[in-house]
Amino acid sequence: MPDPSFDPTACPGDFEAYWRDLLEELEALPAAVAVEEIPLRSNEFSTTYGLRFTSVGPYRLFAYLSVPVGEGPFPTLVYLARYASTVEVIPQGDADEKRGRFAILSLAARGQRNADRPWAAPFPGLLTEGIDDPRSYIFRGIVADCCRAVDVALSRPEVDASRLALLGANDLPILIAALRPAASHLVATPNLFHRAIDRAALTDAYPLEEFNDYLRLFPDRRTQVIATLAYFDPIFFAPAVRATTLLLGGRPEFEGLSRALAGPTELRPSETRYKDGVFQEEWLSRGLGFDDAILPAAWRG
Amino acid sequence: MALPTSTVRPDDFDPFWEGVLAAADRLPLNATMERLPLRSDPKVDVYEVHYDSLDGIRIAGWYCLPTRRHGPLPALLQLPGYLQDPPIPKAAARDGYATFGAAPRGKLRSRAQFDPGYPGLLTDNITDRNTYTYRGFYIDAVRAFDFLRSRPEVRPDRIGLTGSSQGGGLTIAVAGLRGEQVRAASAGAPYLCGFMDAIRLTRTYPYQEIGDYLRTFPDSADAVRDTLGYFDGICFGPRISCPIIVNLGLQDNICPPETGYSLFDAIGSPDKKLYPYDGCGHDAGRALHEPVVDAFFATHLKGEGEENGA
Repeated sequence: MPDPSFDPTACPGDFEAYWRDLLEELEALPAAVAVEEIPLRSNEFSTTYGLRFTSVGPYRLFAYLSVPVGEGPFPTLVYLARYASTVEVIPQGDADEKRGRFAILSLAARGQRNADRPWAAPFPGLLTEGIDDPRSYIFRGIVADCCRAVDVALSRPEVDASRLALLGANDLPILIAALRPAASHLVATPNLFHRAIDRAALTDAYPLEEFNDYLRLFPDRRTQVIATLAYFDPIFFAPAVRATTLLLGGRPEFEGLSRALAGPTELRPSETRYKDGVFQEEWLSRGLGFDDAILPAAWRG
Repeated sequence: MALPTSTVRPDDFDPFWEGVLAAADRLPLNATMERLPLRSDPKVDVYEVHYDSLDGIRIAGWYCLPTRRHGPLPALLQLPGYLQDPPIPKAAARDGYATFGAAPRGKLRSRAQFDPGYPGLLTDNITDRNTYTYRGFYIDAVRAFDFLRSRPEVRPDRIGLTGSSQGGGLTIAVAGLRGEQVRAASAGAPYLCGFMDAIRLTRTYPYQEIGDYLRTFPDSADAVRDTLGYFDGICFGPRISCPIIVNLGLQDNICPPETGYSLFDAIGSPDKKLYPYDGCGHDAGRALHEPVVDAFFATHLKGEGEENGA
């Protein structure tokens, strides 16, 4: 079992400069947002738009934006890049009626569908793309894409900037909450970057198996890989995260991370999709000011 | 939980599919295999495979073989979920199976010629059974099964099918289309079953894609219903003859369990067993059910006294 304690000595010496440089690079680029309504995905609760905007590279991204019918601004859910090629208007299985309560922005980061030209991300393979150098690692760009998605959400008049949640079944919501502190809430499962090589050594399941594959083929690159991943370990972002946080997964190795987060944090062990889903919906609804959660039919009663 | 289904099996369901299969069977697979050093390890050789399918579309898949093998192996075809990027099925190869991870048209590595997208794939050409996406999509999965049967390192009489969600629906379709060639099948939380009931029972994606389509094109409702009858897992049920297990989550918010019960009722195999899991959603009790699946395939594919298929 990896040591779950926080080890500040592993933080790269230029960690702050590395991320400051990226944010400055992003700042220098206009987002150049283009908006197009998508009638097929609009309904009686909401209007859906396709947004295109620019991130570092420069690279043109895509996001779905679902806006409730009626007078805004609305509490907003921002779904950051998931570890998959596909991007949804609203997560599979969520009650469509939620779109009448929340503005929902779902990002297609570079390489994901709708943002896969000129470059389509490989799965598996994304996790080690350019990993030998922190300047070329693909997640440097993906983190920029996520920051830009938050910027775009905050630029929209329909979005209530005081009630904005970042969501994703990986570490990105933690990283982005530190770099873009506007978020009031976040839900994350830090399963990619937190002590990644330690945890990869304990599994042969993808996506962490990607690290094992890479180091098996290129064992002499181990030092560089570990050095690159240190810039992305959420433990080093945690002291800057003041959002109210739900960490789903509850593994022992996440306890140190949970303690390091600066904001109120709840660590929830995973049970089943149903029980985890109900818990998350109720937690998020309460946090964003509602007495009840809008649950899918199979979860009601 | 079981409700009468509104699914109606078209009178010409079997002739329709016999015609599609005949067209597919006339096409040579033209399979190619390339070993991937990056993904292979001391226990598993990983290959990227491509083969031809209907409509001239080239389909990809991952093929995993245990590095230590003596004689023909039992085999598993793993079928992917709707949004899932097909994973490399190394774990089953470590257990001694030749294992194929299929990537039907529109999935990563099989989308150069055809890519209706997500959302979008479920309703692509949904008003015409002869060009509906899933006509080719099902055949792509059938031909992944054919690929396994064609391999000299595989025992052709010991091939099983497995998958969950869309993978469960594809398991049902391939079991129905390849009949007695399939030795055993395990379908979890099966999608693509009871379409029209599902959009009434739930309002969640991906079934919601059909709701979006019908809201936008209300005049097409009859044509949509007619088409889906040819692709509904419930209609493939009577053609299934192999031993089969089905697991459901009773709080499944994506594939309503009612449709899973209807499917199970329709399955023709006398050797069938249902595993409903209360307190579970679309995972359909995966953590509890995995040992059941492992034991099921060990019995039907490896047989008594066979050591890890090696």
